[in-house]
Amino acid sequence: MDVTNIARISRHDVVEGAKSIYSLILLIALWELITQAGLIHYYFLPPLSDVLIEGYELTVSGEMIQASLLTLKRAFLGLLIATVLGVPIGILIARNRFVGWFFDPIITIGYPVPIISLIPVFMLWFGIGDVSKIILVGVGTFWPIAINARNSARAVNQNLIWSARMMGTPKRNLVWKVVVPDAAPGVLTGIQIALPLSLIITFVFEMVAGGGGLGHLEIQGVRSFTSTQTYATLIAIMLIGFVLDGTLRKIRRRLLRWA
Amino acid sequence: MSYLHSEKAGIVSTGVRHVGDVVVRWLPLLIVTGLWELASGWVVVETVLPPPLDVLIIAVDLVVSGQIVGDLLVSLWRIIWGLSLAIGVGVVLGVTMARVDPIEDFFGVFMSLIYPLPKTALVPLAVLWLGSGSGTAILVVFLACLLPIVLNSYNAAESVDQNLVWSAKMMGTSDRDMFRRVVVPAAIPEIITGIRQAVPIAFVALVSAELIAANRGIGYRILSYGQLGIYESMLAVIVVISLAAYVGVRGFERIERRVLVWT
Amino acid sequence: MNEGRVIASNVEKVYRSERTPTTAIEDLSFEVGDGEFFSVVGPSGCGKSTLLYLIAGFLDVTSGMITVNDHAVEGPGTDRGVVFQDYALFPWKTVMGNVTYGLAENGVPKDERRETAQHFIDTMGLDGFEDTYPKELSGGMKQRVGLARTLAYDPKILLMDEPFGALDQPLREALQDNLLDIWRELGKTVVFITHDVEEAVYLSERVLIMTRHPGTRKQVIDIDLDRTQDREAIITSEEFTETKNEVWRSLREETKHTV
Repeated sequence: MDVTNIARISRHDVVEGAKSIYSLILLIALWELITQAGLIHYYFLPPLSDVLIEGYELTVSGEMIQASLLTLKRAFLGLLIATVLGVPIGILIARNRFVGWFFDPIITIGYPVPIISLIPVFMLWFGIGDVSKIILVGVGTFWPIAINARNSARAVNQNLIWSARMMGTPKRNLVWKVVVPDAAPGVLTGIQIALPLSLIITFVFEMVAGGGGLGHLEIQGVRSFTSTQTYATLIAIMLIGFVLDGTLRKIRRRLLRWA
Repeated sequence: MSYLHSEKAGIVSTGVRHVGDVVVRWLPLLIVTGLWELASGWVVVETVLPPPLDVLIIAVDLVVSGQIVGDLLVSLWRIIWGLSLAIGVGVVLGVTMARVDPIEDFFGVFMSLIYPLPKTALVPLAVLWLGSGSGTAILVVFLACLLPIVLNSYNAAESVDQNLVWSAKMMGTSDRDMFRRVVVPAAIPEIITGIRQAVPIAFVALVSAELIAANRGIGYRILSYGQLGIYESMLAVIVVISLAAYVGVRGFERIERRVLVWT
Repeated sequence: MNEGRVIASNVEKVYRSERTPTTAIEDLSFEVGDGEFFSVVGPSGCGKSTLLYLIAGFLDVTSGMITVNDHAVEGPGTDRGVVFQDYALFPWKTVMGNVTYGLAENGVPKDERRETAQHFIDTMGLDGFEDTYPKELSGGMKQRVGLARTLAYDPKILLMDEPFGALDQPLREALQDNLLDIWRELGKTVVFITHDVEEAVYLSERVLIMTRHPGTRKQVIDIDLDRTQDREAIITSEEFTETKNEVWRSLREETKHTV
């Protein structure tokens, strides 16, 4: 086991669908009751109704939607770059001695760098605009994607490769015909791990450097003492996370019907 | 890593080969650093991309001179607190959720709500409640690490081999003791896996919180060196924190192996 | 000259691992005639599977030589088809996709591919499962697909690595009889690896018994059974019991050393 062994996505029914939601309703009721009674300072916890109204207003004014699109654009483009580079490199690391020799130590050293700490560096190198954020997301999500691609390409069943060889597949076609499809589930797992990471990086960058987006909108609420904005943005982020996670899982099921 | 991996050498001749293997293995890193060294000053201005050797020297200096030790200790303090709280709460919550249905019914919905939330979105909330400082950082680390630990503990306790429980019962373990004497020990390996997954997350959460709302700590130091334009020091601090993260993760793996000799 | 003769002369196979080389096979010679059903039995760890993979060309001999139709084996070729114990089907392809794979790799036109594949799918009793993925099939069904896909691209020699080892008794018997029918009908040469003495005697014309570690030739026993009879008559016959005991005794001398 080395540091770069990313575990499978561990989850259970517990996160796939709660058996009961009475506790949530209880919490919401309690939230509303306590805040309306003025038992807690408005700034710390405004009533949920106020938060929802704020959320509605931000949505109608277009601010929330614009911020969401901005954040998603940054996260997705970064993720796209990381996927386009990370998957082939990861597979080559596993199948090609030279590429493996070159990249293995780089991954060992590069992977543990807390990617968030590079935000000030990227601000220096690429400024505080979109490009800087997209590149950082790309760099940050490259590691889990490449490592998962590498590990699953390494784990390809030797008998499958031999099967293809005996049926006449030439050596140079093996990667395409056997390694890639057999590694596909693991590769997709890497992307599933990288998706929340891309948002994690984008949010912090937006909070530190500004330039719009959900992270900026959320922290702005704190700085301008409009906590309803912070809460409303957080709920929006939660919804987005929920939808993205579900979508990716649906895509996985569709793509990997055979697995 | 298998084919370039060399074993610990006992005899002299293999010892020499061992050194050779190590050099060959880490050569790519040397190449990259060399390119960086070349690029610095030639392709990119030295202030923007300081040479790696300078950065390394400053990194050592920052630690040895004690300039950064205060921040390092503060950050370490925060991460240990946040992680310990997450372990304490997470293991208990996960295991009881798995074994006690009403508890699962109560907390399950919150877990599924928090699960897809990118955890750094919680930083502003922590700032809102606790302002800037250690409390915020600890809270963020705690919240970010909680879920992997809860989920792994839950899975672990949920999937305890029923035969173990039965054989313990057969040998006279009471239902009251079952939890402490069978379920928890059987679940420990997976619980530890959850904690291992949480360690790198803890570092990300810590640095996020410190970049956004802190006036001490490693993350704060990186940002302030950047704002002051002392870029060598900024990079040097990043080297230090990366090293700390690396040691943290590796160290935990070692502890894991030590503790779990029986698996 | 499309024959299926296999000759092994003084074959040695040494695995060079990290430090200590292990000799898997030593000084092994035998001959399998065209169209012969030839079994190899031996205690576990005697290098039976290694031998098969050497004939298949997946592994290289350390010294000595294996020839197929007087040509030295240099890598896999479509004149030999392996049936693996773990099936080694491509999980991302349907039954039809798996069976047509070898044909496609050898440039058979699409219509013809489907037709040939369908024939062998029907022969193996898999009709109705053409669009099913391997994970939805039972072990017995998977091995039928494994046989069908190998037969489809028409290798002269079938190399079978304990193909029915993971199946339960009734299924195994059904597949054994299936295999015998195919062998008689298509006139293939079969090299069959097994640790089941009864299986070896029931199926083959000659049995090679290997010694244990390093594996070499202990004895080759001719089997002379009246194959016009049905299974029950054969296995209750005196010749069958006698031959079985002879193989078994020879094998037992080998396993005795291990305990």
